[in-house]
Amino acid sequence: MATEITLDSLRKEFGDVVAVDDVDATFDAGDFVTLVGPSGCGKTTTLRMIAGLETPTDGRVIFDGEDVTDEIPQRRPISIVFQNTALFPHMTCRENIGYGLKIEGVPKSERNERVEEAAALLQIADQLDKMPGELSGGQRQRVALGAAFVEDPEVLLLDEPMSDLDAKLKEELRVEIQQLHRNLDATMVYVTHDQNEAMTMSDRIALMDTGHIEQYSDPETLFDRPVSEYAATFVGTPTTNVLPYTVEGDRAVRGDDSVPLPADVTDDAVRIGVRPQFLDVGGGPVSVEIDVDVIEPLGVEYVVHATERVDGIEMDVVLDDVSGLAPGDTVRVGAALDDVYLFDTDGNVLAYGLDPESPPEVEQG
Amino acid sequence: MFEGRLGGPGGLVSHRRQQQIRTVSLYLTAFLVSVFVLTPLYMMVVVSFQSPETLFSGGTLTLVPSALSLSNFQTLLAETDTVQYFLNSVLITAGVVVLSTTLSVVSGYGLTRFDFGGKRLVARVVLFSYMVSPIVLAVPLYIIFFNFGLLNSYVAAVLSITAIAAPFSIWLMWQYFQNVPIAYEESAWASGASRWRTVRDVVLPLARPGYISVAIFSFAVAWNDYTMVKVVLSDQSMYPITLGSSLFLDRLFVGWGEQMAVSVLISGPPFLIALFLQNYLLQGFNLGHE
Repeated sequence: MATEITLDSLRKEFGDVVAVDDVDATFDAGDFVTLVGPSGCGKTTTLRMIAGLETPTDGRVIFDGEDVTDEIPQRRPISIVFQNTALFPHMTCRENIGYGLKIEGVPKSERNERVEEAAALLQIADQLDKMPGELSGGQRQRVALGAAFVEDPEVLLLDEPMSDLDAKLKEELRVEIQQLHRNLDATMVYVTHDQNEAMTMSDRIALMDTGHIEQYSDPETLFDRPVSEYAATFVGTPTTNVLPYTVEGDRAVRGDDSVPLPADVTDDAVRIGVRPQFLDVGGGPVSVEIDVDVIEPLGVEYVVHATERVDGIEMDVVLDDVSGLAPGDTVRVGAALDDVYLFDTDGNVLAYGLDPESPPEVEQG
Repeated sequence: MFEGRLGGPGGLVSHRRQQQIRTVSLYLTAFLVSVFVLTPLYMMVVVSFQSPETLFSGGTLTLVPSALSLSNFQTLLAETDTVQYFLNSVLITAGVVVLSTTLSVVSGYGLTRFDFGGKRLVARVVLFSYMVSPIVLAVPLYIIFFNFGLLNSYVAAVLSITAIAAPFSIWLMWQYFQNVPIAYEESAWASGASRWRTVRDVVLPLARPGYISVAIFSFAVAWNDYTMVKVVLSDQSMYPITLGSSLFLDRLFVGWGEQMAVSVLISGPPFLIALFLQNYLLQGFNLGHE
């Protein structure tokens, strides 16, 4: 049975360093929640506090309404898959997968049955009697998943399980982890620094920054309605372009270009963010002149790395067609008013889209 | 940038020639070292297996014997307490190995897995105490055992040798546990295993090369010890073979043959240990260099 996890003002200090800074969040029962952020943002520490491997400095961890803050990991209904696949090197894969069941006192024949079932699901049935050292990285990761899965945990915690794997294996395992989630009645908490993994796998994403949750929402909202410049630039590849503007009357101005602003903007300066995919040659009214530096073909589309002419800011533009475009060219690209984000100079979002007619709508995570 | 270099890729000496030079120098070094090590050993063995009559036949020491004999060993068994000394050695050594290894595993685990004040200081003091010469410990230990009424007992022998062997053993195990990632234990805890169960199922198997190295080291210290037992034991019936064999020098009927025979007996166990556990010995020496 899946468990609802509530973090209540959860805080962890290591000496003078605040790793997790009063985090509040509720992970719904059965959800696939991803904690994503750059290294040092506190995501792994948060996961370890959920597991009971770190004791919070302050705050509570609550499983289904029950305070488990002071409970040792053994007494929590969890399984963990570690980053470096902590498979016991002196046990066969079968023993590794079955270890949790053995601790629970499940008889050997039933244990074997369940291990083999999990192995079949993860396509490692013929690896069961090998030692972990004989397996490839991807197979080891599958065994680790199997060991977590076979215990039928209420909470499955995954700490960057794919960071050591190559891109193709990551794609395969991404699908398998999602299948696992469907087969398993468990709340999954997945830690990664890879926004791509977060976006593709999660029901909900908690984007973390220096110890706090910047935004906690489903992937679509995180992409379409980022609450800050940090959220907008962290999610999406290539990263969101952000340009500084000065405010003159009801318009934002940079160089010879200007765009209309929503009526209630009172700041002297603003920043406008636009995703590379929303820019086009010619394009809409949010327009900027760029020098093309490098063109990267990606198959169906091209990423144009360019330098904007007013402040020399580096920008990326994703185009379907680059015929007639070469490095060194100067070209004007633009986006529609609806497709940009308006930030204040501190990076907080002021509006989604610049249409002066429609009032700004801001959802805070 | 590679011009004019003798060795390495692209050097003036061809790769094949470099390999040949390496092989030849390796074997040459091994040969010279073997000569130095094996000559005394050969003399010990060859003297011990000859009867006194053949040993000095012809006026000089016979180094290539025509006939072998076990008479020296028979003399030892029949006329001396060699068997008793040997058993004492085994008993004392076993005690030291068990105590020192247990102590170092517990300390190593504690020093790496728990946070407590003064941890670094403890570790430094432990290593520093290893640098102190054993004889410095002898008098204080004598006084301590005297006060506890433990002098002249196997317990005193075991404890005093452990005092010499333990600091380095603890340091070795501490280093070893630092190389065992705690993630294995955390993984076991998350599977529901208690701390003790985790120690049994995960920690001890993973630490095995470490504690076998420690056991071998403790064995070597205890088996070869002369100083500490000499200080704390006075009853000759408790003497280990190192001390016991030194008594032979005073006996009239003990000649070179018997002396070398007892040396062969002393060398037996270390030789067997080195023979069967050499992989673990090498792993122990490699600690911290992985």
